[in-house]
Amino acid sequence: MKRRSKAFWLVVPLYVVTIVLVFLPLLYIVALSFLKKDVLWGVTNEWTLGNYRQMLDPVYLKTFGDSLKLAFATTVITTLLGYPFGYFMAKLPPRWRSTCMLLVVVPFWTNALVRIYGWMIILRAKGVLNAALMAMGIISQPLKILYTYSAVLIGMVYSLLPFMILPVYNSVEKLDWSLVEASRDLGANAVEAFFTVTLKLTLPGVLSGFVLVFVPSIGLFFIADLLGGGKIMLVGNLIKNQLLQARDWPFGAALSVMMMLLTLLIILLYRKVTGAKDLEGFF
Amino acid sequence: MKKVLSLLLAALSVSLAFTGCQKGENASSQSTPASQANSQEPAKGTSEAKELNIFTWDGYFPQDVQDAFTAETGIKLNFSNFETNEEMLTKLQASNAGDYDIVVVSDYMVAIMNELGGLLKEIDKSKVPNYENLDPAYLGKFYDPENLYTVPYGPGAPLIVYDPATCPVEIKGYADLWNPALQDSLVLMDSSRVIIGITLKTMGRSFNETDTAVLSEAKEKLMGLKPNVRTLSVNNLQDVILSGEASAGFMFTSQVAMALDANPELQVVYPEEGLGFGIDCLTVAANAPHPENAFAFLNFLLEPQTAASVSSQIYYLCPNTAAQEFLPEAYKQNGAFATPSAMLAEAEFVEDVGTELAAEYEKIWTEFKQQ
Repeated sequence: MKRRSKAFWLVVPLYVVTIVLVFLPLLYIVALSFLKKDVLWGVTNEWTLGNYRQMLDPVYLKTFGDSLKLAFATTVITTLLGYPFGYFMAKLPPRWRSTCMLLVVVPFWTNALVRIYGWMIILRAKGVLNAALMAMGIISQPLKILYTYSAVLIGMVYSLLPFMILPVYNSVEKLDWSLVEASRDLGANAVEAFFTVTLKLTLPGVLSGFVLVFVPSIGLFFIADLLGGGKIMLVGNLIKNQLLQARDWPFGAALSVMMMLLTLLIILLYRKVTGAKDLEGFF
Repeated sequence: MKKVLSLLLAALSVSLAFTGCQKGENASSQSTPASQANSQEPAKGTSEAKELNIFTWDGYFPQDVQDAFTAETGIKLNFSNFETNEEMLTKLQASNAGDYDIVVVSDYMVAIMNELGGLLKEIDKSKVPNYENLDPAYLGKFYDPENLYTVPYGPGAPLIVYDPATCPVEIKGYADLWNPALQDSLVLMDSSRVIIGITLKTMGRSFNETDTAVLSEAKEKLMGLKPNVRTLSVNNLQDVILSGEASAGFMFTSQVAMALDANPELQVVYPEEGLGFGIDCLTVAANAPHPENAFAFLNFLLEPQTAASVSSQIYYLCPNTAAQEFLPEAYKQNGAFATPSAMLAEAEFVEDVGTELAAEYEKIWTEFKQQ
């Protein structure tokens, strides 16, 4: 009992931090989303549902649609790239495995924004990629990649790939290979064994990666701003503009609440599909 | 594995937290003015502590000017940075206009702050005799008609700049930006009010149009500009032209100046439809802890040589008449600072239109980007 109370006091600061820095601001945002904006600055004391009604405007619905579309495309591509990567990484000899892991994680030592600026240097008309392709004689005119949708996708996939690789790696590493061997013994060829045994058993890792990639990619707006040339309006941009340009805090708050609900929905869906309590259930 | 992933997630969220800070923050000069003020505040009734808290955009006060002021007066400068006027006002209100002495505020925001009231302190001209050095062309503006609260510090009028080597047309005004020959080759400021504003200008209307019918007409017109837009950005627009990614652009004064410095072959255009205009002002917070130091600093900044040094480093127009003779030749030769004064006199401020209409402008901008 005594030990337990000691542990309790050690945890108290965490609760305080969580309540003060996470819960209260969240509550503030929810409250704000039901208030009316003032014509000059800030909000009035009137309550309204208008901020949520405003979201039904086709212009804003399309913003949500565009964000989901980009998030979905990003997730599909990261899955296609991340699965084989994680799979083969798990099959490397242990020494190479940790080196490989290090290489996946190293980019995170640099700020994400800086790395995106790096991509701008690579992709631009007189950039590294075009210079290389032209030197090799593959193209004669510089490709216009920067400030296009493809550039945004490249940046998104690049930024979020580790979040797919690691869960996949983890579930492949834990895989009981005797099951695969058994299926081979029973007459399945390599492809059949992969699809009926390996893929099914590593699916939780893929789904976990799916959530880890999809959720952040709904909110990552600076990549679209920098690599897409600010020509794409995502929910993140919309929220930023409401707060900084339109001075419409309540609408910005309502959009944020909606985005949080959307995220929650995805995680609930994930739990329903996999029956897991949380993402880390598989790690 | 848990650890690795949670570390990655933490790294991602930290980087997200910094993404708003595209102007870049100067960690070393950031401090909490309030905490420092407490420790060094002398007893009431004596003179002020030898320090001054400045609330500003990053990089708006040249280092040599700061050093000279501290050397002359012994007053230490503490900087806190903000990214936008809106962020500034939120924090200023939270501190009850008390933590900061000097606050940099843009024109339209001065107007909002004066309407809200109780945020700005009247400048004691007897302690700022150099106020006389200011060019009357930059005084008595809508946000401060009697020049009570503001010292114009960073005035600028966005201009068009283009590269004759790659730009297929000669540009004279905003209307030329719609030329189909410029497909996919413009870099524009990512600002709803400014870009919708120049659209309105091509229609012979004002930057601050309030008629929603005219606004929807402007929206139709604006949509025609989208095919020509290569990129919209707030920072480093000059790089997009210099790197050959775009052949023409519409950007802030300082960016035009930097572009011209890097490539003198570029052409600067003073758009024939008329200029938009903005002035970043120095103000004193209503409950500033060190008002005397603040006035001393304002007076120091308005000395002719200091003012010339400031303008030629922060790359804005120089609003100080007495400073003109001290401006470096390179600055005076730069086309970005050679806007005809007749045009500047006619230039139109982008004023606040109220949150109802601001929402209208934002919605048009959203549709423009979605297209």
